[in-house]
Amino acid sequence: MIPFRFIAADLRRLWAGALVIILLIGFATALGIAVGIQERALRLGSARAADRFDLVIGAAGSDTQLVLSTVFLQTAPLTLLPGTVLKTLAEDRRVEWAAPVGFGDSYRGLPIIGTTQEFLSDKGRKPLAEGRGFEGMRDAVIGALVDLPLGDTVQPVHGLPGEAGHVHEEQAYIITGRLSPTGTPWDKAIFVPIETVWNTHDLPTGHESMAGHAHDHDGHAAVPRGLGDYGLVAKTGPAHGPSASEALPAGVSHLGPPWGEGMAGVPAIIVKPKSIANAYQLRQQYRTQTTLGVFPAEVLTRLYATLGDARLVLAMIATGTQILVGAAVALVSVVHLSQRRRQIGALRALGAPRLAIFGVVWIELMLLIGLGVALGLGLGYLGAQIAASAFTAQSGIALPVTLEASDLCFAALLLAAAAIIALVPAWLAYRQSPAAALRG
Amino acid sequence: MTDLNLQNLRISYSGLGAPVLDIAHLSIAGGESVAITGPSGSGKTTLLNVLTGLERPNEGNVRWGHVDLAALNEPRRDAWRARHIGLVMQDFHLFSGLSALENVLLPARFRAFLLPAGVRARALALLARVGLSRPMQTIETMSRGEMQRVAVARALIARPDILVADEPTASLDEASGAVVADLLLELAREEQATLIVVTHDARLAPRMARQIRLVSGRISEGAA
Repeated sequence: MIPFRFIAADLRRLWAGALVIILLIGFATALGIAVGIQERALRLGSARAADRFDLVIGAAGSDTQLVLSTVFLQTAPLTLLPGTVLKTLAEDRRVEWAAPVGFGDSYRGLPIIGTTQEFLSDKGRKPLAEGRGFEGMRDAVIGALVDLPLGDTVQPVHGLPGEAGHVHEEQAYIITGRLSPTGTPWDKAIFVPIETVWNTHDLPTGHESMAGHAHDHDGHAAVPRGLGDYGLVAKTGPAHGPSASEALPAGVSHLGPPWGEGMAGVPAIIVKPKSIANAYQLRQQYRTQTTLGVFPAEVLTRLYATLGDARLVLAMIATGTQILVGAAVALVSVVHLSQRRRQIGALRALGAPRLAIFGVVWIELMLLIGLGVALGLGLGYLGAQIAASAFTAQSGIALPVTLEASDLCFAALLLAAAAIIALVPAWLAYRQSPAAALRG
Repeated sequence: MTDLNLQNLRISYSGLGAPVLDIAHLSIAGGESVAITGPSGSGKTTLLNVLTGLERPNEGNVRWGHVDLAALNEPRRDAWRARHIGLVMQDFHLFSGLSALENVLLPARFRAFLLPAGVRARALALLARVGLSRPMQTIETMSRGEMQRVAVARALIARPDILVADEPTASLDEASGAVVADLLLELAREEQATLIVVTHDARLAPRMARQIRLVSGRISEGAA
């Protein structure tokens, strides 16, 4: 009943207008799809980034800041925890391992993070992708995305990435290993033994045999926020000579735990509890006046609530765009229809049934809208992917961009709405008097 | 053969004082050829619309054989028109992007999902009959004279018993107009169809068996 050759010829004849309509609908759809995909990717990606961080202990303060600093390496001045907290945690029988995280230096814009071998290898469960871990004070391990070869020398610059600072001439590292990719900002960081960070900044390492008790613990506990000296206290302990030339400096017997007495403070400690129950006990125990225990996943959930509002705004903008485009297409089709009054009248005069006219107009519109929505799905997916890879390049957080049933549902919903709106011009065409063909 | 019997026809539009069309009686015998003439605004096109069922009269009967178009609703008038009327219009109303053949087949395609047997062959025969040797030629590459010949072939595709033409030669040059006028008369005779032509063409009108002149919606000459 509905001649498809006629529809094809019609659309071919009006190809320019048809193309504009398809593109308009395509872009409006892409906007909505991309917002959905991107938001989900961001949520999944950041949740995955937080996966390895069961429990983070820091000094009392903002839990969001603590999570941003440790999980996402968005370093900011953090109050230090006294070194005793690390020792206590490391020796707690509910704890699998407890690793310090010390920030403060950088190399070519990459943060240098002081930590322990235990954390890098998840206490031996996760082998390195390449090379070996920390054995001496000059050893450094790089994240998967760091573009440096093994054996390269790393000369730390004091201060965070992007800030001017003095070069620590006395301490240089040799890259000895590379981690497997994790899809987190930690892929774009350089890891060094925490002891060397303390050492560089002339802080006690807790390994100075028994010389450690000479240090004033309280002094460290009460250290104010370091000004430009993030995570590390400047020159409070007794000076140790530069020791870059040796594998381990004099008096330092080993790297990592067990810790001795009197080591310097750390900005945050990542704790892997032995069980979930232990995790809750530990978090409770470290929620005190001076310390803060957080589950990063919990903090992220709260952040998503905020993110959700942003998403809502974006989704509303996308919906608004879609409504505008829908209205524009409806307007264009009604105007176009009035120009086709005589053509439609002629078809009727030649004996075409009213329903066939209705069908022709509706199908033509739905073809354009369908193509537009399909294009939008593709564009939206592509756009989200481009945005995600730009985000990954910048932050190191891998965003899993996926097209899911909900996106297809969204597209189907758009199509359904369009199918209903397209009824209006189709109905107008249906109602048109065939007598128009002969007039004029 | 279907005779036309038109009685007490009145068409008036609100806002206009005098009726656009006011015809007490008009008969046209099946197979007759009739020219409808008259000044513009005299109601010629309205009469054609009524005769073809495109417009429904406010009053009166429009009987083709036993069927009163005035009593049929729109879908039924559409169906009746598809079966009985072949229409040739001043502006051709051919559809660009389609070949001559597809234009001829278009009315049939709007009526059935698959073309009935023989329709395609008839279309090709009709195109040959109107002197077009390239049925696959796209319409926009044709001359105006050729276009109107395609329209004549299209009008005849469904074997109508009434052939209606609205100023068929008005937008053609003299030579092309003459060809189209010849074709209309010859084909109406060959197909045994009633031929009704609205025309200003002083050469075409006298060739019809009968002339009806409309003035201000009334028949001034040629009523029967």
